[in-house]
Amino acid sequence: MTTIAAIGTYLPVWGSQLSRTIGPDEDAVTLAVAAGRAAMVARPDVSVDAVVVVSRHLPLIEGGNSAPVLAGLGLHEGTRTREVVGGAAAMLDEITAATPGTLVIGTDTSAAAGASAVLCDTGGTAVTGTGRVTRSLPVRTRDQHGAVTDYADPRLLRERGVVESLARLGTPTAAVVAGLSGRDAAALCAAPPAALPTLGASATGFAIAALAASEAGGTLVAVDQATVAIAELASGPIAVVRDEAAPQPTPASSFTEGSSVSISLPAYERAFDAKVRLEAARCASCGTLSLPPRLRCIECGHEGASERVALPRVGEVYSLATVRVPVPGLVTPYTIIIAELGDTGVRTIVKLTGAPAGSVAIGDRGTLVLRLVAVRQGVPDYGYGFLPDSHEVAA
Amino acid sequence: MRRVAMVGAGMTQFGELFHLGMKDMLPMAVSEAAASVDKGFDRADVQAAWFGELVTTDGFATGILADTCGLLDIPVSRLENACATGNDAVRHGTMAIASGMYDVVLVVGADKVRETSSRTTFWDWMSMTRDAAWDFPLGLVAPANFALHAARYLYESPHATREHLAMVAVKNHHHGVTNPKAQMRFEITVQQVLDAPMVVDPFGLYDCTPQSDGAAAVILVAEELADRYTDHPVWVRGTGLGLDRVMHQHKRDMTTFPPTVKAAKQAYAMAGVGPADIDVAEVHDCFTGVELIDYEDLGFCEKWGAAGLIESGATYVGGRIPVNPSGGLKAKGHPPGATGVAQCVELFEQLRGESTNQVDGARLGLAHNIGGPTAVSAITILGADKP
Ligand SMILES: [Zn+2]
Repeated sequence: MTTIAAIGTYLPVWGSQLSRTIGPDEDAVTLAVAAGRAAMVARPDVSVDAVVVVSRHLPLIEGGNSAPVLAGLGLHEGTRTREVVGGAAAMLDEITAATPGTLVIGTDTSAAAGASAVLCDTGGTAVTGTGRVTRSLPVRTRDQHGAVTDYADPRLLRERGVVESLARLGTPTAAVVAGLSGRDAAALCAAPPAALPTLGASATGFAIAALAASEAGGTLVAVDQATVAIAELASGPIAVVRDEAAPQPTPASSFTEGSSVSISLPAYERAFDAKVRLEAARCASCGTLSLPPRLRCIECGHEGASERVALPRVGEVYSLATVRVPVPGLVTPYTIIIAELGDTGVRTIVKLTGAPAGSVAIGDRGTLVLRLVAVRQGVPDYGYGFLPDSHEVAA
Repeated sequence: MRRVAMVGAGMTQFGELFHLGMKDMLPMAVSEAAASVDKGFDRADVQAAWFGELVTTDGFATGILADTCGLLDIPVSRLENACATGNDAVRHGTMAIASGMYDVVLVVGADKVRETSSRTTFWDWMSMTRDAAWDFPLGLVAPANFALHAARYLYESPHATREHLAMVAVKNHHHGVTNPKAQMRFEITVQQVLDAPMVVDPFGLYDCTPQSDGAAAVILVAEELADRYTDHPVWVRGTGLGLDRVMHQHKRDMTTFPPTVKAAKQAYAMAGVGPADIDVAEVHDCFTGVELIDYEDLGFCEKWGAAGLIESGATYVGGRIPVNPSGGLKAKGHPPGATGVAQCVELFEQLRGESTNQVDGARLGLAHNIGGPTAVSAITILGADKP
C-alpha cells in the first residue's frame, strides 16, 4: 500500500480541449519536470528522496534523462532515480509499489501529450494494487529506430485485449480508466468516467487526480494494450496542482533543413548544473551574482571561491528580438528575450515559450520554465524559456 | 611617435562576387591601392603587411596574401577582431610605422561571406561570437544580436520610431547610387523599407546590410617618406579600440554601444579634436538602428537626438555632418574584414576631394566599426591636414 500526498499535472499549451501537442521546445523530460514541480508545489513540506519516470518517449535511450529531471526539479544529484519504459499500467505499478518520499512521474509526448506526477508520502490517501495481468497483443509496435506499425483493429484490442484481461481479474467495475479513450473507457465503468487528456503513463496520474476530486475513492483500471493493472483508491483528500493552461492553436511555423548544429560536450558538461538548475555564482567577496558562473567576479574582480545560489524564476522582459527569417536547423519564427530575474539585477537570455512568437513586449512579466533549447548532434540541450504571465497555474 | 601618412587606397567592387576567389580579390585590391599612389608605387618598398579577415575561405590567410600579391619576403600577420577588424588592422599598421619599426606598411582587409550558402552563414558567423553552451544554441543570429539593442533603443527613446530606422536605409541607398563599388545602387523609399518582409523585429529586409564579398587595401608610410609618393597624403590623426562585456545579458544599457564610446574617446584625444570637428564619417550601419545609436555614441548629437538628426537631413551629403557618403555597409556592402579598410578608402578619397559623392571641403573624417557580439569597436580619424 502506498499513500498519496499530492498530484501535479502539466499539459502543453498547444492543441485543443481534446488533445495537446508539445511545442518545439518540449520533450518528455521538460514535461516531467513541469508536472513534478506542480506536485512539489502542492506539498512543499514533503521531501523527495526518489524519482521514477515512466514513459515511452524518453529522449536518451542510452541514458542521461534523469540528470535534467533532477536538476529541473531542484533535487540533489544524489537522489535515487529510475527510468521505466511503459504506459498507464506500468505507471500504476510504480505508484502502488512506491515508498514514502517517492515522486512517480508519467510523461507522454506523442498523440495526446501531457505529464502527471504522483507524490507519495506517509499519511496521504491510500492506493492499493489489487490485480494485474500481463499479456501480449501488440496492435501498435515501435522498433528501436522509432518506426511505428499499426495493426489497426480496435475491436480486436478491446475484446481480446482489454475485456479478456479484465475478465481474468474478475471483471471489476471501474470508476476511472487510464489508457483508453472515451467510449472504450466508459464501457468499463458504471457511471461516465472522467475524460482524461492523455493515454500513456501520465493518464494514471490524471485518473487519480480525477478520482481525488470527489474524495470518494474507487476502482482504477490502467491499460497498456492487453496488459492491465487495477488498484483501489481510498476516500480522502489529495492536494492537486494543475499546470494546465487553456489550449491555444499551434502557431504557424516552419522548420528549415540544415546541417546539424554542432555541440561541444565539454562546454555542455561545464555549463549543465548552472544552466539546468538556473543557478548563479555568488561572489564570496562582494556577494554579486554572476550568470553564467565565472571564475572572476563580474563586479569586484575576486577570483576563486563562490557559492551556487538558485535564481528567482520570475522575470521581466528587458529587450527582445523576434527572428522571422529561416534559420537552418531551427523552427521559426522565435522570440529571444533578455529577462531580468526578480530583484537580483541578474539578466538571462532565453527564448519565449508557451506563447506565439512576437506576442510579448518590453516590460512584460513571466516565469522561467525548463525547456529544450536545442537538439545539437542528437543531444537535447536543456535551459530555460520565458513563459509570459498570462499563463496561470491553477491550484 | 612618428606621424603616419596614407598615400594609397583601393578596393574591389563589393557584392556577391561568386566569380572571384580570395586569391583574385586580394591582388585586385592591392594593385588598385598601388595604382592610386600619385607618384607611383613599387611594392618592393612594402616592409610589412597586416591582413584583416574574419573567416578564412581559401586557405591559410597570411600566406595567401603574400603569395598572391608578390609579398613573400616580408612579414605578414593576420588580424581578426570581429566587425572591427578593418579599422583595427589600420590601427596596427599605424602603430608599426609610428613606432619606427617600419616605414612602409600595407593594410589589407577582405572576406568572402558568399562563399558558403547564405543560410549556413548564420551558424558559420554565430559560432565566432557566441558562448558554446549558453547562447549559441538559442539561434542568436546576427540581426537578432543588434535587434536586441534596437528594440530597447526604440522603447526608451522619446523620439525614435521604425520610420527613423527606415530613413537611415533611404539615405544610405541614396548615397550608394553614385558609388561604382557599391553592391546596391538604387534608391528606396521609407514606405518600401516599412513594407519589406521582416527579418528580425524591428528590422525588415531593407534595414539589413546585404551579404557581401570584397577586399580593400591602404598603403601607410612614415611622414619622412610621404612626399616621395604624393603631394596630397592623408594623415592618420587618431585611432581607438574599445571593448565591452561579451554577453548581452551583461550589458546594462543596451541603448548605447560602450565600445564605440571608448574607442571614440581614444581617437578624439589622439587627434586632438572633438565630434564637432568631423566633416564626414563612415560609420557602422550593418542594421539601420545601429547608425542611429552610432550618432549618439560618436557625439554627433546628444542622447536621443539621433531621430532628429536623421530627420533633419543633416547626415546627407550637403548636411551638417554627412554620414556614409559611400552608401555605408547598407548599400556599399559588408565583407567584414574589408569593411573598415574600405571606409578608410572612402575617406582617403573624400579628404583628397576625389570621391564620387564628395563632401565639399572635407578636411577631417572618421571611420567606425562596431561588431562581434556588439562588444568591440574600432575607430580611425583621418585628416587632410598634417597634424
Ligand atoms: Zn565580487
